Amino acid sequence: MIALNIQKELQSTDGKMLLNLNLRINKGQLVTLYGPSGVGKTSTLRMLSGLLKPGEGVITVNDTTWFSTDKDINLKPQLRKIGYVFQDYALFPHMSVLQNLEFALHKNQKSNIITELLTIMELDQLKGRKPDTLSGGQKQRVALARALVQKPEILLLDEPLSALDSTIRLKLQDYILKVHKKYSLTTILISHDIGEIYKLSDWVFVLKDGLLIQEGTPSEVFISKKVSGKFKFTGEIISIEKEDVVFIVRVLIFSEIVKVIAQESEIQNLGPGDKVIIASKAFNPIILKLE
Amino acid sequence: MNSFKGNISHINTKGNLSIITIQINDKIKLKSIVVETPKTASFLHINNEIAVLFKETEVIISIDQNSKSSVQNSILGTIKSIEKGALLSKVNLATSAGDLTTIISTDAITDLNLKIDLKVTALIKLNEIMLSNT
Amino acid sequence: MNWEPLILTFKLALVTTVLLLIIAIPLCYWLAYSKSRIKPIIETLVSMPLVLPPTVLGFYFLVAFSPNNALGDWLNGTLGIKLLFSFPGLVIASIFYSLPFMVHPIQSGLYSISPSLKEAAYVMGKSKFSTLIRVLLPNIKSSLLTGIVLSFAHTIGEFGVVLMIGGNIPGETKVASIAIYDEVEALNYSAANSYSLVLFAITFCILLMVYLINGGYLKKSRK
Repeated sequence: MIALNIQKELQSTDGKMLLNLNLRINKGQLVTLYGPSGVGKTSTLRMLSGLLKPGEGVITVNDTTWFSTDKDINLKPQLRKIGYVFQDYALFPHMSVLQNLEFALHKNQKSNIITELLTIMELDQLKGRKPDTLSGGQKQRVALARALVQKPEILLLDEPLSALDSTIRLKLQDYILKVHKKYSLTTILISHDIGEIYKLSDWVFVLKDGLLIQEGTPSEVFISKKVSGKFKFTGEIISIEKEDVVFIVRVLIFSEIVKVIAQESEIQNLGPGDKVIIASKAFNPIILKLE
Repeated sequence: MNSFKGNISHINTKGNLSIITIQINDKIKLKSIVVETPKTASFLHINNEIAVLFKETEVIISIDQNSKSSVQNSILGTIKSIEKGALLSKVNLATSAGDLTTIISTDAITDLNLKIDLKVTALIKLNEIMLSNT
Repeated sequence: MNWEPLILTFKLALVTTVLLLIIAIPLCYWLAYSKSRIKPIIETLVSMPLVLPPTVLGFYFLVAFSPNNALGDWLNGTLGIKLLFSFPGLVIASIFYSLPFMVHPIQSGLYSISPSLKEAAYVMGKSKFSTLIRVLLPNIKSSLLTGIVLSFAHTIGEFGVVLMIGGNIPGETKVASIAIYDEVEALNYSAANSYSLVLFAITFCILLMVYLINGGYLKKSRK
């Protein structure tokens, strides 16, 4: 279990902000830090990994103290055994994909993990390539594979998929789920994408102005209290077309596209790429058994 | 989507289902059936202000003001404007609770001879009304 | 033509550049990543040779290295090192004189590397030293090259400092720039011209090489 109870003064765009968090994350969970930009999500990951020193507090991981102002403990990032996928991937430009993975090996670690990761992440074809010849999605896969070479127990993902288009994002979400389960990781994800959070995470921490304002399962946090409809999904608008006096809105929900009839006033602030909730009363859908 | 605000005046719960009565104003009362109870949804309590939502396409228009039907919710209104399309048309009503929009077939407008300033009744089945916490 | 001044010039430039590189890498690392309050002062001192007349630098070295002075006396008396009018003295003066030309490119090279590269290496358990050697330096190759070549070329062109503390001892401190000045003084224009021409040609070639390599022209033609 990760227990993190920290305070840190951060410099935000509107001046100083006090980050004051008390989080508990169970082993094996995939949790999301959710909230607007500049509330301290990335700083939290950096403090957990030892790249940023908290002002005050305690961080313990599986009963080992990583940081404590009282006991004057501050474990170096080198000793924390964390896999970290940076927002800009942080691949070493002068090394090939394979060399990037090999660089991550411990001194006496066998290299068979690399073969395994190359296979899992489907990178065999790309192993001789330099990072600047790869697409965003490919870079992301390399960064994820590299973060796992040392077989960490904790994986930190800082908005790993925000720069990718929706089809590649869906595929990468599958990779994340796959490695999270295969290596029994405790994973902390930063994400703004509610659909993604739904698909990936067990638990959501909502941060605002440096404070934890809400936590719960994705459905508790995002929809249960907003509308009474029981037939409810989050999705992303693909297109909006006018038809007579109504509009046909195509929405991508997980990997299915559904069509919804909407009226002019409903679509006024909407456009392709927007995240929406599609809701209907539980009375309306019909059920047919698949043969 | 049509949206009116009102206060819960009555809750009738049986098992997992509840019929909620919402007083919109002194003339209009709307009923909604939900798969919730005051225990599962905290906003379901008497006098709480909530919004009732229903889609334009779910509204039935009747020109007979005293017609009897199984539809529980009815709102009296006057036609303000009609936007005709090839198959579907939009009819805007002025009601005592505010504007209400319906989308009905263009043929129905011809059959019922709907015109501006005509007094009509908008009918909405109780399973079409959604509730939203304001 | 006497080749000695030219050979001495290149020897001085080579020794200076090698020592500068060794000094500049840790200095730049500190300048790029330290949050120390004295950093602006160090940065200013490093840049001073850019704006000061070389003679000012030379004058202070002259004073400092002089046996009449405590430092010069100690160096001369205790360690037996004579820095005034000697090759080692020239090397030390040249290091200070060319310092900004080595430091600035390397420092800006380190600034341009995303901090996440360094952090990614730390999280993978790599030490700061190993990260510097295996991640940071390989990614600022062109900055290193620029620093090396500019320092080398700048040391070749050195005149004022040498004149002040080196003097004109053949084989010890008489570098090409001094030799040219000497020949002109003696109205020996053809000898001055030969030295100048050789210096011109060599420095032109060195700088051209830098621009070709950093501009990627050589790589493209190989593809």
